[in-house]
Amino acid sequence: MIRAISRGFLWLGIAVILFLPVPAIGQQQVENCVACHQSLPDERLAGPAKLFSGDIHAVKGFGCVSCHGGDASDTEMSAMNPAKGYVGKPTGTKIVDVCGRCHSDARFMRQYNPSLRVDQVTEYYASVHGRRLKEQKDSKVATCANCHKAHSIKPPGDPRSSVHPLHVADTCGSCHANAEYMAPYKIPTDQLANYKKSVHWRMMANKGDLSAPTCNDCHGNHGAAPPGISWVGNVCGQCHAVNGELFSKSRHSQVFVQMGIPGCATCHDNHQILETSDELIGSREKAICTRCHTAEDRGGKSAAAMRAMIDSLRQEYDKAHSILLKAGHAGMEVSQPEFDLNEAKTALVKARAAIHAFSVVTLKKEIDPGLQVSAKAYAGGLKALEELGFRRKWLAVSAIIILALIVGLVLKIRQMESAQKSSEKEEV
Amino acid sequence: MAEGMLKQFIDRRNFLNWFLGSTAGAFVLSVLYPLSRYLTPPPVAESTARSVTLSLKPKEVKANSGQIFRFGSQPGILVNTPAGELKAFSAACTHLACIVQYRSDLSEIWCACHNGHFDLNGKNIAGPPPKPLEEYAVNVSGDQIVVSKKV
Repeated sequence: MIRAISRGFLWLGIAVILFLPVPAIGQQQVENCVACHQSLPDERLAGPAKLFSGDIHAVKGFGCVSCHGGDASDTEMSAMNPAKGYVGKPTGTKIVDVCGRCHSDARFMRQYNPSLRVDQVTEYYASVHGRRLKEQKDSKVATCANCHKAHSIKPPGDPRSSVHPLHVADTCGSCHANAEYMAPYKIPTDQLANYKKSVHWRMMANKGDLSAPTCNDCHGNHGAAPPGISWVGNVCGQCHAVNGELFSKSRHSQVFVQMGIPGCATCHDNHQILETSDELIGSREKAICTRCHTAEDRGGKSAAAMRAMIDSLRQEYDKAHSILLKAGHAGMEVSQPEFDLNEAKTALVKARAAIHAFSVVTLKKEIDPGLQVSAKAYAGGLKALEELGFRRKWLAVSAIIILALIVGLVLKIRQMESAQKSSEKEEV
Repeated sequence: MAEGMLKQFIDRRNFLNWFLGSTAGAFVLSVLYPLSRYLTPPPVAESTARSVTLSLKPKEVKANSGQIFRFGSQPGILVNTPAGELKAFSAACTHLACIVQYRSDLSEIWCACHNGHFDLNGKNIAGPPPKPLEEYAVNVSGDQIVVSKKV
């Protein structure tokens, strides 16, 4: 009998969540919940009430009852009567149901943000978090309120938001970097530490580039899951489109799939993606190619040839840039060869991208024009320095002539004075 | 009488010596100063020109096309939008400084190095460029196009 009554209340709770009235836009709800809760001695009950005034939902006119049910106009404990729709603190799938009640309703959400997506719940149940919650009843997985910090939710563009690009990594890391919390799942917990060593984090945190990727850009946000082996290249290719396209057409793309290793991450790592350098290619000590290739095999020889080509263009570019800098600092007009040299720099950048085709022929198409431009710019710099030498040499000659003239004039004047003195003495 | 004339002569000679010495000193300084300035490297090698008159005439730039031009030692791009408006930007991509180009099929400025896209206001709209291209002011005076850095 008691079990039947409990089951009845359970179903009533679910029904209440699903059929709670959706608040009308701009409707400021009468709020007695906060008045009582914020003065309670138990911080678990008072904290949310204190935080909620800064929550985007409170700003838009939603009150506690929008999620928790009950009667906000009732100043007594009867406000929390299940008969009045009170559901208390939702947990697990009920949290998703509460949020999804509004956030999955396109017509309702349009009133607040017409461009906001309304498929978060669908995506969530496709995520590792959602699948574990639904299929394995795993209560430790993240739900909406874990990432969006229930009671202090801010839009993602707000720098105070837990899902602002600068804070996403720490938000995910609050669970994923906690070795004790993650122990049952037997997955690494060094992702956050590794990510913070990466070029992506450096660009975002130090250079303020909020378009640099963070966790959700590669793993998805509501549908978060590790990328599959065969589609890592597609994920990286969202930003690194040229490299991604070249790689997908390369021999390595198919071989990597056959070997069961991911594209991109095999050479560049996944979370600790460091800034690349020309040393990564080739058959020498720091070259990544040596992980699979020997210096003697065909791939190793190709890698060494490509490294030599890149080195050659870089050295020629540096040589030309250096001589133009020297000529420019000496006061020579070298803006034309400097302008031309921009083409070589472009060629070098394109050549570094072309490495991802892993083809000497493809690389040569980028390298050769760059070498020609570098040689022309170097010749321009050399000519400017020769001109500088010429001008300095003749300046010295003319200065000597002028000084000699001065000395001659002085001597002549003295001679004239001396002659005048002599004639005066003779007269006397 | 003779003593007075001699004193006058000596005073005149002193004055002449002083005059010649001063002018010779000024002459030496006027030679040495530009010489030393010429031999001392300037602090900035780059051209500080803030505007450039293009060798193109407005009629030569077709609508929905772009043209690279030289702004000092740096590349610039002059764009005639599909609406017929002349605009100019720095042609150095804000990602890794490759030279951008105009894509008439997209009516966008595009960087071939890493597939960066910029709209016709220079704003980075796709790909890795982290910020917009610097926009220059374009003034058309008769047959001349003058591109200047914005203050």
